[in-house]
Amino acid sequence: MRLLIISTLPKEHPLAEKAICCLAQRAAECKSFYTEDMKVNPCIGCNACWLKTPGICAVKDDYEQILKAYLQYDVTVFISDTALGFVDYKMKNVIDRILPMATMYTRIEDGQTRHVPRYKKEFRFGLLYAGNGNQAYLTHWMSRFCLNFHGISLGAFPIEAWQEVAVCML
Amino acid sequence: MHVVMISGAARTQSKSNTAKIVAAFCEGLHNGGNTSEIWYLSNRKQWESAKTAFEENENILFALPLYVENVPGVMLEFLAGLSAKEQPGTRISFLLQGGFPEASQGRCCEGFLKTLPAQLGCAYGGTFIKGDMFGLSLMGERIGAKLLQPFIEVGQRFGECGYFSSEIIEVFSIPEYFSEKQIRMTNGPLRYVQRFIMRYIAKKLGCKIRLDAKPFCEKDLQDVQE
Repeated sequence: MRLLIISTLPKEHPLAEKAICCLAQRAAECKSFYTEDMKVNPCIGCNACWLKTPGICAVKDDYEQILKAYLQYDVTVFISDTALGFVDYKMKNVIDRILPMATMYTRIEDGQTRHVPRYKKEFRFGLLYAGNGNQAYLTHWMSRFCLNFHGISLGAFPIEAWQEVAVCML
Repeated sequence: MHVVMISGAARTQSKSNTAKIVAAFCEGLHNGGNTSEIWYLSNRKQWESAKTAFEENENILFALPLYVENVPGVMLEFLAGLSAKEQPGTRISFLLQGGFPEASQGRCCEGFLKTLPAQLGCAYGGTFIKGDMFGLSLMGERIGAKLLQPFIEVGQRFGECGYFSSEIIEVFSIPEYFSEKQIRMTNGPLRYVQRFIMRYIAKKLGCKIRLDAKPFCEKDLQDVQE
């Protein structure tokens, strides 16, 4: 199992360090992105990735390597701080930029409109969060986010539970 | 009543669907003799003024597009920078717009928005969700004006009570889901119409490839692995 980790926490965050080390050991292959070392701008909602340059984001920064990695790895674990009970803006900016993975076309599935996926890929996304996140809400949000990208949510867990999560997610 | 409106859209004001919606909403709001001021978070130079307006006023309305089931990262950053009010009396309402037609698509975000006012020392004035807004800037002025018309009325109704009452939401925030018949039509013949329109719009925007193109070929992906 190939694992992708995207962390918006500082590299030296002690629990994140332990979690990443443990997750990496359980994976056959692991790649980590630390966004503190990268330039990841917010999505500007220009729709270019749907209508002008399909599949390619118009915002030119370090994000494209993350987009490609989503396709290359079997499981993605996001590691984030929280604010207002939700993921913080740094992680939301990362996740907002995932739109090129969907096409502009839509169809109705299970009673709701969904974007037709761009690639034949069943994404598996999980979230580890630091701080006072609302776990019930974050779990719900992850499942909705995955639903719209034809993926499977592995859930949202406080980073303190990294040992259990490593067993559950991988 | 004076309403501070803060647009949480990341798209620049001139190209923003949310900005168009806010303008229509204000038209209705002003019809009832109310006043407003609008701040756009897409312009970081306005953040300090928006923050001051939030601190000094009691009727706050955030207008925002739905981004991956929640508020855009830009708006989240602004919200995280606000301090909770110590004095009661401020009410925050939300106007949430999205591209999908069903209001049910905004319920996950609404769940988060409901929690925000209390965290900021304010009361909750409701969330008005309106879908099917994707075409607002793309489908021409006539269709755009038609899509905006309900917001004028919603703005007027909001001005009468200062919050999104259940009556406003029930009348305007529809459909919650598509009917069986609509689903059959949408997944059937309308699917081809939609694709034709999308391709037409894309071509006008200068797109020269298929809308379902897969630009990251195997070679690109091998590069990532290396």
